[in-house]
Amino acid sequence: MESGKLASFFEEDLCLFSLRSRKKNSVLQEMVRHLNKTGRISDEQFIMEMLKNRESLGSTGLGMGVAFPHGRSLAIQKLTVLFGYSSSGIDFGALDGKPVNIFFLILAPSDKGAETYLALLSELIGVIQKPDKLNKLMKVRDFKSLTEILDGKE
Amino acid sequence: MREEFRLLIGLQDIDVMIKEAKDKSTSKELQEMGFQLTGLEELQKARKKIADKIPPSLLNRYEKLADHFTVAILPVPGNMCLGCFVKLPTSFFSSAYSHELLTCENCGRLLYIP
Ligand SMILES: [Zn+2]
Repeated sequence: MESGKLASFFEEDLCLFSLRSRKKNSVLQEMVRHLNKTGRISDEQFIMEMLKNRESLGSTGLGMGVAFPHGRSLAIQKLTVLFGYSSSGIDFGALDGKPVNIFFLILAPSDKGAETYLALLSELIGVIQKPDKLNKLMKVRDFKSLTEILDGKE
Repeated sequence: MREEFRLLIGLQDIDVMIKEAKDKSTSKELQEMGFQLTGLEELQKARKKIADKIPPSLLNRYEKLADHFTVAILPVPGNMCLGCFVKLPTSFFSSAYSHELLTCENCGRLLYIP
């Protein structure tokens, strides 16, 4: 993936800067419902089931307050990313036990290979591994700042 | 949508996930990113729960297709099969809306209108 292209995967109406949910399943539901409302998915229930199954394979909360719920489903036609922020933090069963504030929800179609989303996932993990970027993400409240952090214009 | 179709779609989604978790290069990549993939058994249990609800003849048809293709069942958003990219005949659509489970005459994949 070319550098400077990461922000192009994000859409302003798919960035939720004030998630209301307090629990693991309800925060997934809140994000999935938004994808449904904005016409990105063809069925809420299939996506929810898929994401819950993915969590049972192992929590996608990688620690440091960030989670990457992801997977492929027949109910999504193209690679889609939703950014979500929770100020209170949510117990997501993260590997370090810390509450999760930042969610990168990544959905990819079933009929394409896993590589469709793996490259994006790996780029995003690269971003949060940079302490200064992670600090900024923890304070991000608008789309413009988010894309600037992602694409390195600081 | 008929319950059987919904079950097949759920089964297809979980099978894609199981395949990824079992695939050496995909699972290695995910683990290197920091993900722990320890719940494969849980996934298998969830799969069985769905599969048990599907009529055996339909399940059998699905399993055979799943051996050949990445996905055995596909939505039809337009007028072609997205598995083999062959245009579907108009007769296909008249039966599609009668809630039948459809088959692509070219590749054999199961099709549904989302
Ligand atoms: Zn076909």
